[in-house]
Amino acid sequence: MTVVIPQQQEFNTRREFEVVGTRVRRLDGFEKVTGTGKYVADIYLPGMLVGKVLRSPYPHARILRIDTSRARKVPGVRAVVTADDTPKRYWGAFIKDQPVLAIDKVRYVGEEVAAVAAMSEEAAEEALALIEVEYEPLPAYFDPDDALAEGAVLIHEDKPNNIALVIDVERGNVDEAFQNSDLVVEDTFKSHLQWQAPIETIGSVAEYNGGKLTVYMNTQTLFMARHRMAWALNMREGDIRIIQPWVGGGFGGKSCDDNNAMICALLAMKTGRPVKLINTREEEFLAGSRPRVPMKIWCRIGFKRDGTITAKHIDVIAENGAYSGKAPAITGVAALRHDTLYKYTTVKTRARLVYTNRIPTGAFRGFGNPSAEWAVEQVLDMGAHALGIDPLEIIKKNAAEPGYVSPHGNRVTSCELKQCAEMVERMMDWKTLRANKKPYRGIAVGATVHVSGKRHFGDYDGGSAVIKVNEDGKAMIWCGEGEIGQGPTTALCQIAAEELGVPFEDVEISRADTDLTTYCHGAYASRLTYIAGNAVRNAAHNMKQMILEIAAEMLEAAPEDLEIKQGRIYVKGAPEGKSTTVREVAHARLFRRGGKPLVASGDFDPDSVLQDATRYGNESGAYNFAVHAAEVEVDPETGQVKVLQYCAASDCGTVIFPTGAEGQVEGAVAQGLGYTLSESLLWDDGKPVNPNFSDYRIPTAGDMPPLKREFADSYEPTGPFGAKGLGELSMDPFAAVIGNAVFDACGVRIKQLPITAEKVYWALRGRERQSSAEPGVDES
Amino acid sequence: MKRTVEFTVNGDAYRLDIEPNRRLIDVLRDDLGLTGTKEGCSIGVCGACTVTVNGEMVSSCLMLAVNAQGAEIVTIEGLAQGDRLHPLQQAFIEYGGFQCGICTPGQIMAAKALLDHNPHPTREEVVEWMTGNLCRCTGYYKIIDSIMAVVEGKVARAQEATT
Repeated sequence: MTVVIPQQQEFNTRREFEVVGTRVRRLDGFEKVTGTGKYVADIYLPGMLVGKVLRSPYPHARILRIDTSRARKVPGVRAVVTADDTPKRYWGAFIKDQPVLAIDKVRYVGEEVAAVAAMSEEAAEEALALIEVEYEPLPAYFDPDDALAEGAVLIHEDKPNNIALVIDVERGNVDEAFQNSDLVVEDTFKSHLQWQAPIETIGSVAEYNGGKLTVYMNTQTLFMARHRMAWALNMREGDIRIIQPWVGGGFGGKSCDDNNAMICALLAMKTGRPVKLINTREEEFLAGSRPRVPMKIWCRIGFKRDGTITAKHIDVIAENGAYSGKAPAITGVAALRHDTLYKYTTVKTRARLVYTNRIPTGAFRGFGNPSAEWAVEQVLDMGAHALGIDPLEIIKKNAAEPGYVSPHGNRVTSCELKQCAEMVERMMDWKTLRANKKPYRGIAVGATVHVSGKRHFGDYDGGSAVIKVNEDGKAMIWCGEGEIGQGPTTALCQIAAEELGVPFEDVEISRADTDLTTYCHGAYASRLTYIAGNAVRNAAHNMKQMILEIAAEMLEAAPEDLEIKQGRIYVKGAPEGKSTTVREVAHARLFRRGGKPLVASGDFDPDSVLQDATRYGNESGAYNFAVHAAEVEVDPETGQVKVLQYCAASDCGTVIFPTGAEGQVEGAVAQGLGYTLSESLLWDDGKPVNPNFSDYRIPTAGDMPPLKREFADSYEPTGPFGAKGLGELSMDPFAAVIGNAVFDACGVRIKQLPITAEKVYWALRGRERQSSAEPGVDES
Repeated sequence: MKRTVEFTVNGDAYRLDIEPNRRLIDVLRDDLGLTGTKEGCSIGVCGACTVTVNGEMVSSCLMLAVNAQGAEIVTIEGLAQGDRLHPLQQAFIEYGGFQCGICTPGQIMAAKALLDHNPHPTREEVVEWMTGNLCRCTGYYKIIDSIMAVVEGKVARAQEATT
């Protein structure tokens, strides 16, 4: 099939590739457009039971008594489980504080208290209604400030002051630097809960036979899921097999910090029957994917008169929710990551992660960056306005460059931040718009840095892959990183095809399965193209050496004199001469006395460092950069903000799979738009009152602004064919850019997300009437 | 008490005994094994469960199966003929109109319902029509591009060029 897509942008102009950078046909396309691809909810096993969960109606309460006897008698019910049926082990990615089923106490509305497996949904529901739980309500806190207050009841008895984590870092002397600055600007910004809200909720199907537990789950991190499940259920990793079906979107929310699969596994082990447990949409909001960590960030930045940044000081209060999940690492990112973006050396950071009685918060595309940038990039913008300097010039003047080492030890290899700034300047026609300011229209910029993998689960951030070449010459990559929709499996096949010298169609990749592939961390931290890409490239390189050695025998030449192109092997520079093919080599190696299959493995662990106790250390092998710009219009009558145009310039190194890369930018912009303008729930006593898609408004096709997106000409020396990460980058600065643009449009700065029409309306009136009337909307 | 209902799905005739409270989506998925129709929100907001009933776009999570008596139902499984894809399916692959794919059957069925009624909508009309189908991955740009490629005949031409 011919792909007839106009190349909107020429890629990789500085280098030539055969497969990398071309618009290949996505590998999972046929199954996904025909509906034949199997997602976890599409798995039906013989004898399969339905699982259902009983959840806490209280935000904080002691459990005095649970009686399941009536529930067990419902016809069709095969198991009712409570914490007494578990090993009662607390688990979690960084702080082990979460039970599988509530032990003695519940800490948020929606927390899992008991679960049922039954022959039908009706029987399961009936049984849930018959489980008796007696609670003694406790004081509950829905805001970190309240949980921190003196005399607050402890949510976890072993966590004094309800604090899960404190970060305290100072490099240089910020007070001195501020004294020597020409301008010091400071303010406080608050961000809110945002749900990943993939259209597919979290779900699992589990079965247990002869001591082996098999779980089909829509996770983005299979091996981590296995590790945590082994801990929580007190099993060996090898006795658990995790199989990833197609996954209907993750965005961090399916990185296994919730209890769905744990409970499904427990029910399967208890009954000896396959069990399916799929979250309803309401359950997904209550206790499914762990939403973005809300933060209150005070930020102070010093400037020289020419716009040079002298120092930064921030104080972060992050809401952990009831359990910790990945929020400790996210708090670290919010506290420190931004210091890799601009070249200042003096920085002070204090961050506290605070327990509350709301849903545990966690990993969502951006991982602390969007919340931090909502504050920091706005304070920078305030500084630019106060100095009368074009904010784009502030970015250019302070931008990190190749070779830059951040105050926390992050070492920048490739960096095209300045190029990105120049790109948005051109894409937006920035200077013209700036010179022709119209009433209630505003333009603004923001920049970001993200990682390509982050070393924080022990001192290993590597990846591995195995490649076999079948007797027909077709290569199969065994890889456990998985595919959650972003398209990395297609990019990995491109990388393998490029290295091997075979057509893209001659490479395929396995599905992710912990029994069949080597250990892989999985999809998070924008790591797959970079980390798994390097591992696959190394595996392909080793395979290529093996092929060339056999070909050398066949062609009576030295292996180093041979090359492979389009699957043909010949002496370098002599494609018309004597030749063989990968297919012939594979066949010849196998079908002979003592024959062997062609199998090679490869691995990669980047040159990053596990941060020390002072949070110093190069956290990633490569850093990705972006500059965004927006033009907005504010309706002075209603306060409504309309994004007239959005421009995104991304430095992700070499673009491996253009269609996929563009899709990453476009999708992140949509999530940024929702985060900034529309997505929030209303709360009543720790309970979301509208946990559904009709009130939690994720953007529709009609909401999307005109978008221009381009990729910088960039090459990461440590990346596979020059590539680095991209997935989260475009989410990071969006809210700050719109906040800055709203200020430019109408002179008011909204300091709490989301930027609703109501807030802008009142802020405009407040300015006009010199009052500070704020509506009492309990939003977050 | 169960009721006997007759309808066709993708041209295949069915006679089924169905509890009157069962939704069309459950019968399609659980009883007929047509799992291409997905459930995203259960309240008719996200469009993942979109099918056509007598040519009209329907959220199958909001329709009782017994109300489909005598209807001609088409699901995502009814579009391709073996390996030969419907132009919309072809376009979604070529133009990057999907990522995770969970909303894709609904997107394609909604687009089909539009193009069956109006083969030449403007881009604005396509955007307006597709607002009933949520997608969390793509930002919609490439979904609209995919549909417009069919409207503008680009996909049909591509197929001709290779057949």
